[in-house]
Amino acid sequence: MANYKEAPLATQPKTLDPAEYFNLSPDYRRAEEKRAALRAQLKRQYLEQLNNPHRKALIEDPALTRWTYARTNNNYFRPTAKTSLIGGLFGVLPLFVLYVVFKTDRDKREAKIKAGTYERPYKLST
Amino acid sequence: MLKVLIPTIMLFPTIWLTSPKWLWTTTTAHSLLIASISLTWLKWTSETGWTSSNMYLAKGPLLTPLLVLTCWLLPLMILASQNHINPEPISRERLYITLLALLQTFLIMAFGATEIIMFYIMFEATLIPTLIIITRWGNQTERLNAGTYFLFYTLAGSLPLLVALLLLQQSTGTLSMLVLQYSQPLQLNSWGHMFWWAGCLIAFLVKMPLYGVHLWLPKAHVEAPVAGSMVLAAVLLKLGGYGMMRMMVMLDPLSKELAYPFIILALWGIIMTGSICLRQTDLKSLIAYSSVSHMGLVAGGILIQTPWGFSGAIILMIAHGLVSSALFCLANTAYERTHSRTMILARGLQVIFPLTAVWWFIANLANLALPPLPNLMGELMIITTLFNWSPWTILLTGLGTLITAGYSLYMFLMSQRGPTPNHIMGLQPFHTREHLLMTLHLIPVILLVTKPELMWGWCY
Repeated sequence: MANYKEAPLATQPKTLDPAEYFNLSPDYRRAEEKRAALRAQLKRQYLEQLNNPHRKALIEDPALTRWTYARTNNNYFRPTAKTSLIGGLFGVLPLFVLYVVFKTDRDKREAKIKAGTYERPYKLST
Repeated sequence: MLKVLIPTIMLFPTIWLTSPKWLWTTTTAHSLLIASISLTWLKWTSETGWTSSNMYLAKGPLLTPLLVLTCWLLPLMILASQNHINPEPISRERLYITLLALLQTFLIMAFGATEIIMFYIMFEATLIPTLIIITRWGNQTERLNAGTYFLFYTLAGSLPLLVALLLLQQSTGTLSMLVLQYSQPLQLNSWGHMFWWAGCLIAFLVKMPLYGVHLWLPKAHVEAPVAGSMVLAAVLLKLGGYGMMRMMVMLDPLSKELAYPFIILALWGIIMTGSICLRQTDLKSLIAYSSVSHMGLVAGGILIQTPWGFSGAIILMIAHGLVSSALFCLANTAYERTHSRTMILARGLQVIFPLTAVWWFIANLANLALPPLPNLMGELMIITTLFNWSPWTILLTGLGTLITAGYSLYMFLMSQRGPTPNHIMGLQPFHTREHLLMTLHLIPVILLVTKPELMWGWCY
């Protein structure tokens, strides 16, 4: 491994660079060891739950909890120009547009009924 | 009427005096007996609109299907709650069933009321047991928020109704529906009268719910325990519809102009809430929004005041009550097993629960309004009468039907099909009780295909 030379057109991956693991400061090393210990603890906790024959429940995944919380609570909505435009376009404007459409249609029909020119398309006795 | 009301009141001593070993059996059996007695109401012998043995409680072709639905639902609620209430101390179990029975009593008196004030008092009274069920027995901390939204939305809507009713009493001298249907059409031509008109209807529109004021519904349905969700979806929403149908009789000349905003909100709401359903990750939330969508169609049908609209509204209310309640029961079975309402956690269930997959299938097909089920019949009548009212509505209702089919299929495919994740393999099998619950929900829907006259109301 010490005489590794990179391929002529490829870059050396960072993990194979000797400088990465020979020039570390002791502080960095201690921090890295602590992080590795935490990771090992978490992995041990997960594997204990996974291989427990009496386990009936789902193994709780905090990422899933965060995801469902984010999806179901709309705390992330902020009224900006874009969201207000979308809200107005889909939530407020259609109401007015529909009002205009229905009112003119019904008024035209009412005028035709009053004038006697409305032909009833269906014969409904009840 | 009394032959059902007195057994329902006798349900309270039954609950508190049976021994703990027999509590669930006796209450379920008692409420099933009440449900069977209530089925006798379906035999319609008179030709007139109402039959009443006394002046205060009556039956009519509009009320009878709703009353039977209410009575039918109580044993189903008790069956559904058995599992999650069992670990609690015995007096709390009794309290829970008491709340359900109290709700039942108030609902029977509300639907059967002939005086509008009695209907109003019972309408408000049903809020209390529902609030207690949601906030005490719900499962997440959001239940407090949900209870608050539920209570205050409905109260804020119904206080104007009280004022409007008192004004009506002042001007016509009576509030009995039997008399008011023959009264002169009221002269309604000033702003004050318009506010009175709105006051009469807002309470029921909030309860239905109409799209703009529907926020309480997803919260309340999701946070409530299963019996709470069932009764909310199946019956309490129909209180709003029934109230609207009764009030529209007297509100006539103004409704032609003033109903437009509400019809438009209802129709646009079908599309908006249907689209929200397609983006939901929470199963109960999806079913709750689909309830808003169907009720939007009902509200539209009632507000245009045509015979077909009323018939379609009643049919859709009954069918939606049964099917929505069935879907909530199914969602609860998934919740009790995985303790989560997230849809992606409970997927691929068909492989391990094949019979339940059949119930999911039928319930979802009913929800998407498959012919010949009554859901379709109701929806079709309302869509047709809306088309007659104004041909442009077909764009909204047609798109709404398409989106309904989309999210119902999404719900089915997400929960049943696909690869079964590993954590699902170890889930408890289905109890007979749960299968019984589902059959008791879905068999009436299928039987109603054969005799829809039971539900048509008086306008056929």
